[in-house]
Amino acid sequence: MGLFDEFRCPLLRYSLSLGLSIYDGEEVVQEVFLALFQHLHLGRSRKNLPGWLFRVTHNLVLKQRLANQTLVQRTAGDASLAEEHVDPTPSPEEQMSAAQRRYRLQSVVQALPENDQHCLRLRAEGLRYREIATVLGMSLGAVSISLTRSLSRLVRADGR
Amino acid sequence: MLNKDSYLLTRHLSDAEIVRSADGELSPQRSAEAKAHLEACWQCRARMEEIQATITGFARAHHAEFDAQLPPAAGPRALLRARLTELGSEQRTEWWKGAFWVGFSLPRLAIVCVPLLAIAIGILWFQYSSQRDLTSTSVLFDTESAPNRSLTPGATRQVTISDVCSAPEEEVVGDVSISLRQRVLQEYGIPNARPEDYEIDYLIAPRLGGTEDIRNLWPEPYRTRMWNARVKDALEERLHEMVCSGQLDLHTAQHDIATDWIAAYKKYFHTNKPLPLSS
Repeated sequence: MGLFDEFRCPLLRYSLSLGLSIYDGEEVVQEVFLALFQHLHLGRSRKNLPGWLFRVTHNLVLKQRLANQTLVQRTAGDASLAEEHVDPTPSPEEQMSAAQRRYRLQSVVQALPENDQHCLRLRAEGLRYREIATVLGMSLGAVSISLTRSLSRLVRADGR
Repeated sequence: MLNKDSYLLTRHLSDAEIVRSADGELSPQRSAEAKAHLEACWQCRARMEEIQATITGFARAHHAEFDAQLPPAAGPRALLRARLTELGSEQRTEWWKGAFWVGFSLPRLAIVCVPLLAIAIGILWFQYSSQRDLTSTSVLFDTESAPNRSLTPGATRQVTISDVCSAPEEEVVGDVSISLRQRVLQEYGIPNARPEDYEIDYLIAPRLGGTEDIRNLWPEPYRTRMWNARVKDALEERLHEMVCSGQLDLHTAQHDIATDWIAAYKKYFHTNKPLPLSS
């Protein structure tokens, strides 16, 4: 249960970022931990369990999306980001500016190729390049190129 | 002509090197070279700060985008625990079957079975001797404190927290009708059980939204068991208090008591055996 408490939120966030509904996301995370139970029960490798968890999550999310046949369109809710997610401590002007920045960055991310989005989201969840490469079935070099490309676009959009 | 060290110090870092450096993904040697260059080069340092600020901004945006949608972990954790318990017991059963049909030859099977059979007969004889006053069927059933999940999975009605917490206990719990009681006993194969031996109990208590439905009723033994009807009543009281004080959501309470009420007792009373009853 310790692993569940540690990884439920990251795995659920990643599932949502791939377009699943919260209901499907929770179900996928349950399936992942049942699979982990079987994996450990069969005496299989305990090396790099975080990478294993994300890999199984990624595969199950793709399977679920195929079953649903339609991606959940997340763009509709974005217009209200400025009101929804504001930090309570800064001034109203700073809050608005921070929310606008988040909106700008999220818009750039959503315009990236899907694989680049996956790399970026997995990196944001704390995975190392080698783990991302394993989860997505890419080479280490391809992960590095993808992240550099995405970050360059984000930096440009960030307008610094 | 520049030597290698001078070249490394004067050559600016690429964005890829800056990103990998920020992520700690450069080789130790290249990382030391990049660090030396960054200390000497304002231009690359400014670029590094720019990229790091964007990484921080994106990481915050990524969390902010989804964190508000994440429900509390208590319900999913309880569900996973119940599923793992179920999976564990299935696997034990499969192992047992496998051992019999694959791993054992007939003579070996006999060597294993004969002592087991002798032990089983001994246990049954002991139970028969110590509980002569009970009918033979009720002796067998009395070994179970938990309901048969296929017969009694639990059933609920649509209720809100205020429904559950505002109605007095006597208004939500009616006596189970004699005909329904008889149907429950028949379903469990003990039609002649004595009323003082069993309570026809709700698996999910009415005060937690359970209904008077055959799927939510089972004969719970009063006597001889550590985990008896009175212990379960204490659990129902505890869950009701927790739900009404906002410490537990109603759905989790219903799920936990329906899945394995003994495990729920241990969980919510933080004990492995029933606490002494106050009355």
